[in-house]
Amino acid sequence: MTESPALNGSPIRTRATVIENRADGGGGFCLTLAVSGWPGALPGQFVMLSAGPRTAVERWDPLLPRPMAIYRGHQPGSAGESTEIQVLYKATGAGTRLLAEALPGQLVRVVGPLGVGFPSPSSGQRVCLVGGGTGTASLYEWAVRCARKQPVSVLLGARRAQELIGLEDFEALDVDLRCATEDGSLGTAGRVTALLEPLLADVKPEEMSLYVCGPTPMMRACSERASRAGIRCIVSLENNMACGFGVCLGCAVPLTEGGFSLVCKAGPIYDAREVDWAGLP
Amino acid sequence: MIQAVDTSVEFAGIPLRNPVLTASGTFGYGTEFAPFLDLRRIGGFVGKSLTLEPRFGNPPPRIAETPSGMLNAISIENIGVDAFLNEALPALPDGVVVIASCFGTDPEDYARLAQRLSDSPRVAGVEINASCPHVKSGGIEFGQDPKLLGELVGRVRERVSGPLIVKLSPNVTRIAPMAEACQEAGADGVTLINTIQSMEVDVETRRPVLSNVLGGLSGPAIRPIALRMVWQASRAVDLPICGVGGITSAEDAIKFLLCGATAVQVGTTNYINPMAAGEIADGILQYAERHGVSRVTDLIGALEVNSPSAS
Ligand SMILES: Cc1cc2nc3c(=O)[nH]c(=O)nc-3n(C[C@H](O)[C@H](O)[C@H](O)COP(=O)(O)OP(=O)(O)OC[C@H]3O[C@@H](n4cnc5c(N)ncnc54)[C@H](O)[C@@H]3O)c2cc1C
Ligand SMILES: Cc1cc2nc3c(=O)[nH]c(=O)nc-3n(C[C@H](O)[C@H](O)[C@H](O)COP(=O)(O)O)c2cc1C
Ligand code: FES
Repeated sequence: MTESPALNGSPIRTRATVIENRADGGGGFCLTLAVSGWPGALPGQFVMLSAGPRTAVERWDPLLPRPMAIYRGHQPGSAGESTEIQVLYKATGAGTRLLAEALPGQLVRVVGPLGVGFPSPSSGQRVCLVGGGTGTASLYEWAVRCARKQPVSVLLGARRAQELIGLEDFEALDVDLRCATEDGSLGTAGRVTALLEPLLADVKPEEMSLYVCGPTPMMRACSERASRAGIRCIVSLENNMACGFGVCLGCAVPLTEGGFSLVCKAGPIYDAREVDWAGLP
Repeated sequence: MIQAVDTSVEFAGIPLRNPVLTASGTFGYGTEFAPFLDLRRIGGFVGKSLTLEPRFGNPPPRIAETPSGMLNAISIENIGVDAFLNEALPALPDGVVVIASCFGTDPEDYARLAQRLSDSPRVAGVEINASCPHVKSGGIEFGQDPKLLGELVGRVRERVSGPLIVKLSPNVTRIAPMAEACQEAGADGVTLINTIQSMEVDVETRRPVLSNVLGGLSGPAIRPIALRMVWQASRAVDLPICGVGGITSAEDAIKFLLCGATAVQVGTTNYINPMAAGEIADGILQYAERHGVSRVTDLIGALEVNSPSAS
């Protein structure tokens, strides 16, 4: 729904080969896939991944693919060669736990890239990225790109230190990184929203753009706080999806102006003011 | 030399290059599939059910996953008939067979809508959705009472001279009287089944998973029920039948043909594999070649049953 660059290329549907599926010790996994004909992607776009690898017997349970942010692999592949793309995920429900069992060499079905990319901040602005839980994965490539051009603060939150997915990658970036854990095992004890306060303390609206991805309550809280400060807040929503390309109408988000928008097609990225937060489950 | 297999069928007076269509509500308005599938590879598609005015659906959550299936309570969210005729249809390449689906709250709505759609030269036929299980009024009321259904189809028939198909609800005790009512009222074909009324519960929150509480079940979980109903309907009426429900492969599609369906529709599988309908069409051809079947129409109703009284 935000003004953002158009899709790099048309989405593809393919079977990708698992190169690596590495557990990070905190329930998170980094899945590397080799995809042929990969058209590239914009930061903020996602893929639909089959719930687990393809096995000798075709499986229809769990039925639906799972939306996952593209963590690495935004460059288009060269003709005839396969490209590596990465997703970071947490094994929580049935689909992601099956995905966690995928072994190198097995095949995973992929549809993507889907959705729209993040809209650019104004030049010279401080960019503040706030990630909660697996939402962090959606923000990484955007942090990389923004850090090339302007000052970037990254605020990450999770229940405990081990669950801060992608932490090492963010540490390697030239950004102002701050963490919060609910059990206090790393960084500030408490929620990531608390880290936002000092950054917003005396900032003028035109000096900052905020980008947020994480659980709905966290995004809602950031959105309210940004709105009080008059700061533009962009969110990346994580609604349940069946198709990911605009045909099932299952991912609808209610809008403040009335009606609904399809998160998989017009989103997943929205200006926080467009979203009717009270209408989200 | 192997003779080329003739895959064409005629459903409700609509010539199709092969018997594989896609189901309403699972294929958008067709163009969404352009990156994945040449729409001319399949028999055709049925568009999302339309209403006279554009309409928004239910609040989220609208979908939920269940064993080998999914629930939905979208509630006929659609762009409305004007946008369909003026924007969606012209965006499609020539040669794509389009069946338009209509939904209304009273027979007059259905008749006006069906007439407008049927008058368009780009619409090969009209399917009336008399079976949406989760819209408060309309749809399912007609789909559960053979007398009301017959009246509805009769009203639409008066205004539509082109192919008229009725989509039936599985949420009935007996499917045969519903198909018979359509035949008597002058329909050219029936499509079955729509989704099966269902619900799911989240025990952590002790709430229904869908905002609408009730939803419709689709996907492989419903295939045996759909197959049974197609079989029963095909024995009750002479109308051509389009079989829908949980089709994931060419083998699944062929089961419906054997049980008496002239064509099939692929639904939920399109979400999981947007290329599925094309692969299923190819698979039917390969099956025919493998089994020395020269015309796909030879498979229709070719089920061998020892005790036909079982129906
Ligand atoms: C655009 C987008 C990008 C995403 N990127 C990532 C990512 O990079 N890494 C990652 O780990 N997760 C990501 N998610 C969330 C991820 O898709 C869900 O967590 C996943 O589908 C859950 O599947 P499951 O099989 O583990 O859980 P299920 O067994 O399906 O469900 C377990 C619980 O998770 C909830 N759930 C199911 N699907 C979703 C969903 N899509 N969003 C939120 N909650 C859900 C269910 O309601 C249930 O309570 C993204 C979601 C979207 C929409
Ligand atoms: C999300 C969703 C939306 C649907 N919308 C419609 C609709 O608008 N009109 C209609 O006649 N059927 C609709 N259906 C029903 C399908 O066309 C089909 O009859 C049903 O899903 C069973 O087939 P399947 O198991 O292959 O999906 C919808 C199904 C789903 C899953
Ligand atoms: S997930 Fe199907 S329309 Fe968005």
